[in-house]
Amino acid sequence: MNKVFNRRTLVVAIEVPILLLNSDRRDRKREMGLGIFTSMLLRRTIIQRSTKLLSPQSPIFNNSFVRPIVSTPELKNPEAAQADPVPDSPPLPPRSPVGGARVHFPNPEDAIEVFVDGYPVKIPKGFTVLQACEVAGVDIPRFCYHSRLSIAGNCRMCLVEVEKSPKPVASCAMPALPGMKIKTDTPMAKKAREGVMEFLLMNHPLDCPICDQGGECDLQDQSMAFGSDRGRFTEMKRSVVDKNLGPLVKTVMTRCIQCTRCVRFATEVAGVQDLGMLGRGSGEEIGTYVEKLMTSELSGNVIDICPVGALTSKPFAFKARNWELKGTESIDVMDAVGSNIRIDSRGPEVMRILPRLNEDINEEWISDKTRFCYDGLKRQRLNDPMIRGNDGRFKAVSWRDALAVVAEVMNQINPEEIVGIAGQLSDAESMMALKDLLNRMGSNNVWCEGNGMQTQADLRSGYLMNSSISGLEKADVFLLVGCQPRVEAAMVNARIRKAVRSNLAKVGYIGPPTDFNYEHQHLGTGPQTLLQIAEGRHPFCSAITNAKKPAIIVSAGLFEREDKDAIFSTVEAIAKNGNVIRPDWNGLNVLLLNAAQAAALDLGLIPESNKAIESAKFLYLMGADDVNLDKLQGDAFVVYQGHHGDNSVYRANVILPAAAFSEKEGTYENTEGFTQQTLPAVPTVGDARDDWKILRALSEVAGVKLPYDSLMDIRSRIRIVAPNLLSIDEREPATFSALIKPEFPHSMSSTPFKAAIENFYMTNSITRASKIMAQCSAQLAKK
Amino acid sequence: MAFTLRGLKVSPNSASLEEARSRVFDFFKTACRSIPSIMEIYNLHDVVTVSQLRSTIASEIRKNAHIDNPKVIDLLLFKGMEELGNITEHAKQRHHILGQYVLGKQGLVQDSSTKDEGISPFLKSFYETNYF
Repeated sequence: MNKVFNRRTLVVAIEVPILLLNSDRRDRKREMGLGIFTSMLLRRTIIQRSTKLLSPQSPIFNNSFVRPIVSTPELKNPEAAQADPVPDSPPLPPRSPVGGARVHFPNPEDAIEVFVDGYPVKIPKGFTVLQACEVAGVDIPRFCYHSRLSIAGNCRMCLVEVEKSPKPVASCAMPALPGMKIKTDTPMAKKAREGVMEFLLMNHPLDCPICDQGGECDLQDQSMAFGSDRGRFTEMKRSVVDKNLGPLVKTVMTRCIQCTRCVRFATEVAGVQDLGMLGRGSGEEIGTYVEKLMTSELSGNVIDICPVGALTSKPFAFKARNWELKGTESIDVMDAVGSNIRIDSRGPEVMRILPRLNEDINEEWISDKTRFCYDGLKRQRLNDPMIRGNDGRFKAVSWRDALAVVAEVMNQINPEEIVGIAGQLSDAESMMALKDLLNRMGSNNVWCEGNGMQTQADLRSGYLMNSSISGLEKADVFLLVGCQPRVEAAMVNARIRKAVRSNLAKVGYIGPPTDFNYEHQHLGTGPQTLLQIAEGRHPFCSAITNAKKPAIIVSAGLFEREDKDAIFSTVEAIAKNGNVIRPDWNGLNVLLLNAAQAAALDLGLIPESNKAIESAKFLYLMGADDVNLDKLQGDAFVVYQGHHGDNSVYRANVILPAAAFSEKEGTYENTEGFTQQTLPAVPTVGDARDDWKILRALSEVAGVKLPYDSLMDIRSRIRIVAPNLLSIDEREPATFSALIKPEFPHSMSSTPFKAAIENFYMTNSITRASKIMAQCSAQLAKK
Repeated sequence: MAFTLRGLKVSPNSASLEEARSRVFDFFKTACRSIPSIMEIYNLHDVVTVSQLRSTIASEIRKNAHIDNPKVIDLLLFKGMEELGNITEHAKQRHHILGQYVLGKQGLVQDSSTKDEGISPFLKSFYETNYF
């Protein structure tokens, strides 16, 4: 007897440390756990005392030394489950749905009623038991179930009791039937969860103290809430060889609980067949079938969906604990999608970037570029104003001197020879200030890089994604014109893939050969194919005309072409012939490339002359690193205002350090016309200033003082120009469709379309400074 | 502490304002003469020049230009002597000097110039910090 006792205490001592990581949530739970534990101890001592008093030699007394294995001794006999010993508990008030979810009834007649813990809930037909419980406000523990992935039903954590069912049922896989009586809180359900938990922990290592998931681990949380407080496991744990999934995802496969979320994510959402399940029984493991890296632009999301620490972020490994990070809800600027992100920072350092839920834009995913660009924010930063001396070297100076030099030069130059270019990461406020400053100097040669020359900004429908990003899900035919959504906007590509999977949408593509992760037809490479479709000579025409909701997506990469007006009018002809624009559906879309583009066109940053760069004597680059400065005259004075020492700095005469997107408050409009704001997560680097403040200060030194002193003032100025940029978190669709545009007679050149983005991982100054992105482009980018 | 008082004796009161005035000039000269050794002791060569330190001393003295009571001037002189003694005896550390005499109350002493007259509060705070 004694021997048994000792061994069991030993096991308890080993199994319990899984819980010992502290966070606020964990502390609360631990207190709760300890409370239960102490009350159990008290109860036991009372029993012991009373039995002692009654009969010291009774067998009950001797047995009380044997520690029961399960934490709830009353569950030991299976009959107890049916007995339901708590008839007198007061009825709970009805709860609101988990996470404030709303239920949408597509068809009111299809509503059925089920009872969850005695409360009736109305749910649409086809909901699972787990969804019904969520509507009733009961959160069911789960590992393998994920609302955006297919149902696997293999973790068994979501077991609940259903009346008249002989066994507990896996709620994630069981459809709810009318009148079903679901019980989530009965001894049977509790015991089932405890049992599942015990099996899961059997082969899970006890390395929480060194695990990066610690503090935000589903297994940790649920073992606190539903697990047993002791184990009876004495054998060796299984170990699994780690897999190499590339520079982004770190694997510790021994921790894997085989929920297969990552496999389902890779095949369903990311559209790559890289991950899979190998082996059977206890030899089961997740892996790439052959020695291969995971080459998806969405691969970072498997880190978020992994419920344990098997897949974690490689760049973030051992850098910080999640409870010491400060989260700032912000917006991504790596592409024109404007994914919602949370920037986690510690002190002045951005530690990681995570997605935030936004059903209209990025759902709950983000691209790898968004997630892992952050180390670029720590490298190559400009931190002091600098002036290039006669020896060609930069010398750090004070703001006073730098602004005085710039203002003096600017005032000596003819107004027509002053040119300003906004960079692809600029916010709307600073672009407004740049345009106002140049206009006050007498010049109107100001534009945003990537928008090309003479782009039509008169009709918003001419440069926005008119069917909205979430609207693309409903489309059943896609025509992609020079547009490679996988690299241009990974989140839009995920939507198209969703439509291809759910609506069996047809995708036609015109452009250079490229990678798609869904079925598509490569129709051609250049404008000739476009012309054939416009004239009805192409087999794909019938697909467009017969479609219920056809969508044409034109890449903003075409803005840089000489014959862009002709191309756009051909596309509009296709739209007219195929009836793509209807009162309830506008399927003519432009997919922009950069975060600043939409706002720049809204604010009217359009250059006056086509030869602005060639004739410029004074060039003001506000973070513009991707403009071609070869044609610039040798004696032109170049001011670079920006946060990274990138391409343009080599040509600059004066450098004015500015804040990056993680350090400032700024308005961005995404490709569908959705306005959002970034918030500062970390302080600026060195002596840097916000972009609009630099322009405002420069205007005063140059003697053309701009009339705003605060963000509020500058926004009231924006209200006059583009009021839609002030309605934050709202999508302002274009008022007029492109059909009212007059026909454009010019002919298209026969040059085939070019890829707009050469390297997905390096598109702007932040990603070019990032080491992780450099590793990615070396290892993952398709050659 | 005793060594700071060595060699330091309270001079008799100045009889007139003129006498106090000449003592102030003497003090200024003494201070200026000790600047090279101060630069040496606290290793200030790369942050400040002799003339900047001299003008700092001058401005510290000018702060009290309005005082016309010889007794008060004597007191201020005594405090100045004490401070100078402390500095030359290395009773202070480098950051004391930097904080009090190299950086002024408003940022870098060398940065504040007369050019700032007539600029807006925005520009003034822009030169100081990004956060306003």
